[in-house]
Amino acid sequence: MPIIEITFYLFAAVLVGAAVMVISVRNPVYAALFLVLTFFSAAALWLLLEVEFLAIVLVLVYVGAVMVLFLFVVMMLDINLAPLKEGFIRYLPAAITVAVVMAVELMMVLWVRGKFGSEAFESPVPHPPDYNNTKEVGEWLYTQYMLPFEVAGIILLVAIIAAVALTLRRRPEAKRQDPARQVQVKRDDRIRMVKMKSETKVEE
Amino acid sequence: MLAEYFPILVFLGVSTMLGVVLLGLGSLLGPRRPSSEKLSPYECGFEAFEDTRSKFDVRYYLVAILFIIFDLEIAYFIPWALALDTLGTFGLFAMVIFVVELVIGFFFVWKKGALEWE
Repeated sequence: MPIIEITFYLFAAVLVGAAVMVISVRNPVYAALFLVLTFFSAAALWLLLEVEFLAIVLVLVYVGAVMVLFLFVVMMLDINLAPLKEGFIRYLPAAITVAVVMAVELMMVLWVRGKFGSEAFESPVPHPPDYNNTKEVGEWLYTQYMLPFEVAGIILLVAIIAAVALTLRRRPEAKRQDPARQVQVKRDDRIRMVKMKSETKVEE
Repeated sequence: MLAEYFPILVFLGVSTMLGVVLLGLGSLLGPRRPSSEKLSPYECGFEAFEDTRSKFDVRYYLVAILFIIFDLEIAYFIPWALALDTLGTFGLFAMVIFVVELVIGFFFVWKKGALEWE
């Protein structure tokens, strides 16, 4: 089926191109939008591997939620780009070292698996049309892999607590309404009857 | 199985082509006579006072992060709901423990007042 290969190379080319644009465009907002395109192409590639659930979760969670947060941060933060670029030459040797180490590690992982190219990885077995990948994930995730699943829950709990601890700020000076106290208010809390003597004419 | 997705691929191709053709035709055929007034941010009204980027309250991030976390939690429910009839009691309690973990987080957020907008 050449169309599958054509689709794969199309989306892979878009993915690599968009990933290069993420680190090369000057405007950080454009970089975030190219990252959206990268995630979307990755989701299309996963769909080609017939992992529908992960592909759709990638679109929903990364494109829908994480990238919105990224855009939010990038658009709103007060980032001045000029000081960020000053250290480029100075940090270049360290950056090249890290990049080479990462590239070598990736190559070694691939070499351990065999050789490069698609023949190193067995292509997924074609499934019948009534095969449900999401159901298949569920049958493994909540039985065989229950412990990692519960650990994921704990990690999410830690993330909640960390987010609250890091960003929750009280603002005592802010004025706010308390609807419960508003409806409980009595007439006497608001109105005070004052007895006064009637005005008398001042004697001249 | 993958053949089922072929219409989606056709849709993707058609919409991409349509976008490229419309933008390309517009930039090829449209007249372009830039002037300094046209390129200014506003043709009428005030000049811009300051940069678009400005510091703002960190509580907006808190709302966004909490949204992502509970969004992820809901993503775990979908395969569970589909496979529940084969999972049995074990799978049910696996999800009960997961939900209890996150309900603890939810009550923490609630009691801390992180959901309140002062």
